[in-house]
Amino acid sequence: MIFVEGNTYEEKFTVSEHTHANFVALFRDNNPLHCNETFAISKGFKGKVMHGNILNGFLSYFIGECLPTKNVIIHSQEIQFKNPVYLNDELLFTAVIIGIYESVNAVEFKYDFKTASKIVAKGKIQIGILL
Amino acid sequence: MERSEIIQKINAIFIETLDNDDIIITEKSNANDVEEWDSLTHIQLVVAIEKAFKIRFTSKEIQSWANVGEMISNMQEKGI
Repeated sequence: MIFVEGNTYEEKFTVSEHTHANFVALFRDNNPLHCNETFAISKGFKGKVMHGNILNGFLSYFIGECLPTKNVIIHSQEIQFKNPVYLNDELLFTAVIIGIYESVNAVEFKYDFKTASKIVAKGKIQIGILL
Repeated sequence: MERSEIIQKINAIFIETLDNDDIIITEKSNANDVEEWDSLTHIQLVVAIEKAFKIRFTSKEIQSWANVGEMISNMQEKGI
């Protein structure tokens, strides 16, 4: 097994205008909270709140591209959104292996996304190692 | 732990993992008896059982089971 319990991985992500615009174009979620600055501010936010599921795209990148093997598949994932993410926020992503199940070639990670000041999302992902 | 106690705990894991409140697992149950028990949910079941009982199986052990009863025997060999 190339994974070891306790191993930690870090990546940096930015929710850029390009990412936001492409997410909207792909999935057509034009909700004003995400796309209208005035509306979002009127609801008490600092600006447009980025779609939480953009973070799921970053998770996909992490699992698909950043692990020591490409032979992986996501079995399940959960995410809790704790604080809003705004345009051009820089996020530090940290994932820690919390469980290895060699019997079924599965690995479980706990992860979070942080801005400089707070956790904006956290959750768990279970992946399978393809033989 | 008594076998009946183990199977009760396992039954709760099956209900939760397979999201089906009607599941009743017996020692003779296998994947053919439970509609939602497929190759992917099998992984989730094994992971959930390993977590709940704080044990680890090997792939060889898993492949040797013909039914839930054989898994329970395997668990008892591990001190459950």
